[in-house]
Amino acid sequence: MPDLPELDPVIHGKLRLAVLSLLVGVEEADFSWLRQKTGSTDGNLGAQMIKLEEAGYVAMEKRFAGRKPQTLYRMTSTGREALATYVSALKHLLGGAF
Amino acid sequence: MTMNSEPDGGASRDDLLQRIELMETMIAEGRQATARFGWIFVLWGLVDIGGMALEMAHPGHIWNWPVALTIGMALQFAGLSLRKRVGRECRPNTQARAVSAIWGMMGATLVMYCFTAIFSHQANGRGYLAAIFMTIGLAHAASAIILRWPVQGGVAVLWWAGGITCFFVSGAWFLTIFGVEMVFGMVLFGLYGIYLDHRSAQRIDGAHA
Repeated sequence: MPDLPELDPVIHGKLRLAVLSLLVGVEEADFSWLRQKTGSTDGNLGAQMIKLEEAGYVAMEKRFAGRKPQTLYRMTSTGREALATYVSALKHLLGGAF
Repeated sequence: MTMNSEPDGGASRDDLLQRIELMETMIAEGRQATARFGWIFVLWGLVDIGGMALEMAHPGHIWNWPVALTIGMALQFAGLSLRKRVGRECRPNTQARAVSAIWGMMGATLVMYCFTAIFSHQANGRGYLAAIFMTIGLAHAASAIILRWPVQGGVAVLWWAGGITCFFVSGAWFLTIFGVEMVFGMVLFGLYGIYLDHRSAQRIDGAHA
């Protein structure tokens, strides 16, 4: 039996995968924008963002837009590489489905 | 598809296919956030058709086009401000910034060109119209290459063809060429962009359901 690639468990979670897929198309994004696009709750999204940060896949920055505090996230180069690896592992696992 | 649960362990074929669908949807949403543009083309198509209507109603009046162009700029500024206020809390990527820079600078160039030509009474003749068409074609072509979008490449060809045609037909044809460019190269292209946005939004809503 050929060796099957393992899927990165940090990326494989649906919400984390959704967030990374969103971030790959923009330079940076606000927490509330990510929450709106993923249809998630504050608590769950916050928890998943911490996991992504701990893995080094996203970087967080707190800023003020006028008087309004903003939490901004951007994807790191490590995150981009990890997502690319995840996609190629998915392709491998699915074989001809692509 | 709810994303509040985290079935991390699953790796069945269906599960993997779901992940791919999720990625496609979210990547499309990220791109969509940086590329809602169709209304601007529709706006400028209608503004230019309005400008031409003014020109036909008051032939040769120096304020026909400045009034139309100023209204167009005011409406675009209002639309962009509204969009910003409604809130797109993400910053576009480099590709979107490049496309937006091309169109922004093309707009600035045409405003300088048209206003200078109009107020110096040089805004006539085939060369004037051809230069405008060629410039718009250039912006479409550059944008099409960056976005790898053949449809927009086709629109660029349409504008260039209009510019070239201006040199080979009599003045009586200018109105027809202008109308074709505005309807097909602006209004219909813009409506197609709006349709694409709408379709993408529906897919995203479907993924959230």
